Amino acid sequence: MRSLYLIKPYLQENRYLIFLGIICLIAVDFLQLFIPRIIKWAVDDLTAYQADTLKLFTYALYIVGIAVMIGMLRYLWRRFLIGTSRRVEEGLRNRLFAHIQTLSASYFDNVQTGDLMAHATNDIQHVRMATGMGMVALTDAIVLGTASIGFMAYINVKLTLFVLIPAPMIALGARFFSKKMHRLYGEVQASFSDITEAVRERFAGIRIIKAYNKQKEAASRLESISKDYIGKNLSLVKITGSFFPMMLLFSNLSLAIVLFLGGRQTITLTITPGDFVAFISYLGLLTWPMMAIGWVTNLIQRGKASLNRIDKIMQTHPDIDDFPAARSINNLKGSVMFDNVSFSYPSDSSESGKKFVLSDINFQLDHGNILGIVGPPGSGKTTLLSLIPRIFDTSQGRILIGGIDIRDIQVRHLRSQIAFVSQEPFLFADTIWKNITFANRKIHDTELTRATEEACVYDTVQSFPDAFETIVGEKGVILSGGQKQRVALARALIHNPAILILDDPISQVDMETGSSIINTIRSKANRSTIIIVSHRLSAVRFADQIIALAKGRIVESGTHDELMANDEYYAKTFRLQEIEEQYAH
Amino acid sequence: MRTDFGYFEEKQLGKPYDVKLLKRLLPFTTPYKRLLVYSILLVVVITLLDLSLPYVTKIAIDRHIVPQQVSATHIDTDSTEGKIRYLKADITNPEVKALIYKYPGRFNIYESFATISFEDLHKLDKKDLSILRQDDLKGVTFITAIFLSLILINFVFNFVQVMIMEYSGQMIMHDLRVRIFTHIQSLSIEFFTHNPVGRLVTRVANDTQNMHELFTSVIVFVFKDLFLLVGISLVLISINWQLALVSFLVLPLVIFASIRFAGRAREAFRDLRIKIAEINTRFSETIGGITIIQLFLQEKANYNSFKNLNHEHYLAGMRQIHVFAIFMPVIELLGAVAIAVVIFYGGGSVLAEKISLGALVAFISYMRMFFRPIRDIAEKYNILQNAMASAERIFLVLDSKEMLTKPLSPITSDDNKRGQTLDTISDISLKDISFAYVKNEIVLKGVSFSVKAGETLAIVGPTGSGKTSIINLIMRFYEPTSGQIFLNDINLEKIDPPVFREKMALVTQDPFLFSETIRYNITLGNSNIPEGALNQILIDANCKGLIDQLPDGLDTVLSEGGASISSGERQLISIARAFARNPDLIILDEATSYIDSATEYKIQKALANLMAKRTSIVVAHRLSTARKADRIIVLNRGQIIEAGTHEELMDQKGFYFRLNQLQS
Repeated sequence: MRSLYLIKPYLQENRYLIFLGIICLIAVDFLQLFIPRIIKWAVDDLTAYQADTLKLFTYALYIVGIAVMIGMLRYLWRRFLIGTSRRVEEGLRNRLFAHIQTLSASYFDNVQTGDLMAHATNDIQHVRMATGMGMVALTDAIVLGTASIGFMAYINVKLTLFVLIPAPMIALGARFFSKKMHRLYGEVQASFSDITEAVRERFAGIRIIKAYNKQKEAASRLESISKDYIGKNLSLVKITGSFFPMMLLFSNLSLAIVLFLGGRQTITLTITPGDFVAFISYLGLLTWPMMAIGWVTNLIQRGKASLNRIDKIMQTHPDIDDFPAARSINNLKGSVMFDNVSFSYPSDSSESGKKFVLSDINFQLDHGNILGIVGPPGSGKTTLLSLIPRIFDTSQGRILIGGIDIRDIQVRHLRSQIAFVSQEPFLFADTIWKNITFANRKIHDTELTRATEEACVYDTVQSFPDAFETIVGEKGVILSGGQKQRVALARALIHNPAILILDDPISQVDMETGSSIINTIRSKANRSTIIIVSHRLSAVRFADQIIALAKGRIVESGTHDELMANDEYYAKTFRLQEIEEQYAH
Repeated sequence: MRTDFGYFEEKQLGKPYDVKLLKRLLPFTTPYKRLLVYSILLVVVITLLDLSLPYVTKIAIDRHIVPQQVSATHIDTDSTEGKIRYLKADITNPEVKALIYKYPGRFNIYESFATISFEDLHKLDKKDLSILRQDDLKGVTFITAIFLSLILINFVFNFVQVMIMEYSGQMIMHDLRVRIFTHIQSLSIEFFTHNPVGRLVTRVANDTQNMHELFTSVIVFVFKDLFLLVGISLVLISINWQLALVSFLVLPLVIFASIRFAGRAREAFRDLRIKIAEINTRFSETIGGITIIQLFLQEKANYNSFKNLNHEHYLAGMRQIHVFAIFMPVIELLGAVAIAVVIFYGGGSVLAEKISLGALVAFISYMRMFFRPIRDIAEKYNILQNAMASAERIFLVLDSKEMLTKPLSPITSDDNKRGQTLDTISDISLKDISFAYVKNEIVLKGVSFSVKAGETLAIVGPTGSGKTSIINLIMRFYEPTSGQIFLNDINLEKIDPPVFREKMALVTQDPFLFSETIRYNITLGNSNIPEGALNQILIDANCKGLIDQLPDGLDTVLSEGGASISSGERQLISIARAFARNPDLIILDEATSYIDSATEYKIQKALANLMAKRTSIVVAHRLSTARKADRIIVLNRGQIIEAGTHEELMDQKGFYFRLNQLQS
């Protein structure tokens, strides 16, 4: 098992605890085996009328004494062994989380959040169960199994051999059934996915269903899929439902053998009545290990499969990482140059040739200048911005900042000098303060005030009863779209980065606030280089340079006046927006 | 079972389970009452069988293996001194008789029987011993046969019971699932806008799944365990009530420990669940905001706060382990104490000849059985807690009543009151409609217009001017904030939505296709369309060529989201779907996405066929589409600023005119 390395450090770290735990567990098993011995002595004495009150009392005391010891040792192994499995769980989850954080955006485009969540919860849980209960049950089964057999053999070898006849049947049965179960379990899961997908699709297409009055059909479709799922489940249950009763049957079969052969041997005085009773007790102890074997294999196999799934994530390397020759550069000059850049999404692996989202992008932006980017939806504006902080890497060509290829700069250093405001403002379910400063205590309150004032959100925040301590809820649910956008803007403005990148920063705020924000942004020029994408052309008209994209290519480039004179996309859109303004009442 | 969607939200966490919830679940079991009763009856039988096994062993011991025959000469029962166990032999059997005379002096001979002390049996030859005890040997064989048949019957009954239970459990789940689905489906579109689809899917698929174990294992096992406990108690009392009562002395301790445990375990489970929910939230938030985290270099800080959270989860886990590590051994210890009591007190009783040795052995076996269900309670408790959390979420959905206000006396299509009929749509008019999705964010303001039968109305206007919202209101996906919509002069609110939606066909911007066959996507499960008519539909919708190219034709299954065909082809299929309906009113939201000109031409022709001789309202993104319309309304920022024919609007030299100039 290659993926075992994932949990090895945690097992190693707790090796003494594990060792102690297993010692306790084995001690418990042996102590448990003593109780039937004591019962045997008592029964034998009683058969021969050789017991008196004192003797019986001693036996009772033995049992209680052993039970107390068992109890204490049990507490210890539970803490040691199950506790270790919790430790493994914690460590593994930390590791997975840390790793997921390093993966690049392209990875998350291809993976569903639900799947990752399943790894973080279900799979880790399976691993925990396999290491905790699996370890315990395995030790238990082996120790208790061999010891009970040993004790039984000590009483009578022949009888023991006979009693063990059903044992191979149990082992074979467990194997046979678990194989079948595995296959059927897969079918049940596939059928369950069908349900999930059918429901998801019908809820996603709810408008069509309602518009075409197809509620009944949708429900009956779900019903038939759900019925199919039931069918699959029932055929699985035919196996599982007969498995445990069958295991019970086999172990009862052993009991019948004891009753028949052991009974005869007792009658013919080959063994004592006490032996006979002890045999039955040992058999009781043996039932559990025999049944456990099937369960343990299942548990461990499941844990193994889960560990392998987690390993698959851990083996994914981030697409964006430092190149070996990357340097740490702290004072980047903010000039930005795109040199023949083309880009297609790594996830786009269609046979018919990759679709380029950006092609042959060339521009040169001097330090302290402002670049405006416009273009219809889907023309590649957001993609272009995401190449600068290396959310994605270019497919062809290169990007230079301060004259240095960005792939020669360590990612941390590159990003530390860029402030980015994304199109969809993402807020964390935390306080406004934390969302803006990321809990950086070094940021002074005056800085916070300045940044929020510049983003035109200071007064809004102050109007909340908890001001900056207001918790914004999941994805900032308590704020309006415009408020979220302005908080995200403040987050970027609190730093004084070399490069400020804004993706449609005023799309959700009203006219006046919008122009106030634009004025702030303009005042940032000279100190920072600014790249701004906007659908509202008034936000880019003052830029030193404006480029218009269409289908991933630069189709126009120049200043506002030049582009107006050009009378193409930019000029037309600008006039259209002017008309809209004019007709707004 | 996978519960990958279970992370969505756990607002209601921490509430202890509610008897009310169980009560609300009860009606779902009603259709399967009979099966459940059978199942419980079987459980009773199985329990009885389980209980009978040690008893059979007891009989074997007492009757045959160690027969009860104590010499009558010893009356002093309090002392074990000199007490001897004797075996009784039947002299009437000639074989036995011969044997008895073979060992003179060993046997005490009476009229019809002889006795021999157990001590002396050792001195007998093995062969002679089996002759002497042939009846006992036969008896053991007989009892083993009974034992074997009991365990076989037990096996069969167990299997049948599991199948019945699983079947009814699955059916209950099925009913619950369909019920939630139909309920969610009946809610207004507004409900869907503020509840992510993922969350709703979780309710239908995963939460019902979580309840499954509640029905299959918990219910039956509660019965089984209870029966087992009661049954064992009864058997013990019937064997020897004094010994039973003495061994029950530990019971108050067991009850006390269980109650304390239940409380502590609930807390521990709750802590764990809250922590795991927080971990899940953090995970999904991190995945959602990964770009922001990476761009602002927050990986380390975020990792540290996750680590703390994860460690809290670990500590909660350790608390749970502690609770269980105390409870389980304590129950085991009490079980051992009970056995010790049985040995001490019961052993005394055997000596005093109040009970037999077999009874004592049976007592010990039963005592062991007694403590098993008590330990199981912990596990069942966990399942119950999980199921209750899901039940709570399910009922939260079932309780949401975000539906359109139902008309008191809905008007059906063949209603002829006041001459208003809905047989065919002859007129649709909006009167002073205002609308906001979110309070105070007005999307439409004072919109009024009307469309007569056979007319084509185009709505034009910039992005965000409220064009699609008008469609949403006409389909009655949403209700206007103020103003009314009339269909043939009947207020839309007074008509049951299916009645008027039946006469409309909606063609959306982004055609939504199901992962089913093309046939299903066109007919939407309506099998009444004859093949010939379907063929005509395909021709009219310009789909014929496309479908004939596919290897399976109409029965080609589209993959998820209909990705295996191009977006233009998907539009053609969605137009065919509108045809299949043969509607009075076409509502078309023109696609904006780029489509190659050949397909675009096909779509335009198909749409022209569809709209011919029908009333249609078109949200036009291309002015060329608007030009073909009978009338045009121009929308800007939620208000109608111009209305009229293309020529009239061009003459006005206003907004529409200028738009045309820009695009020419």
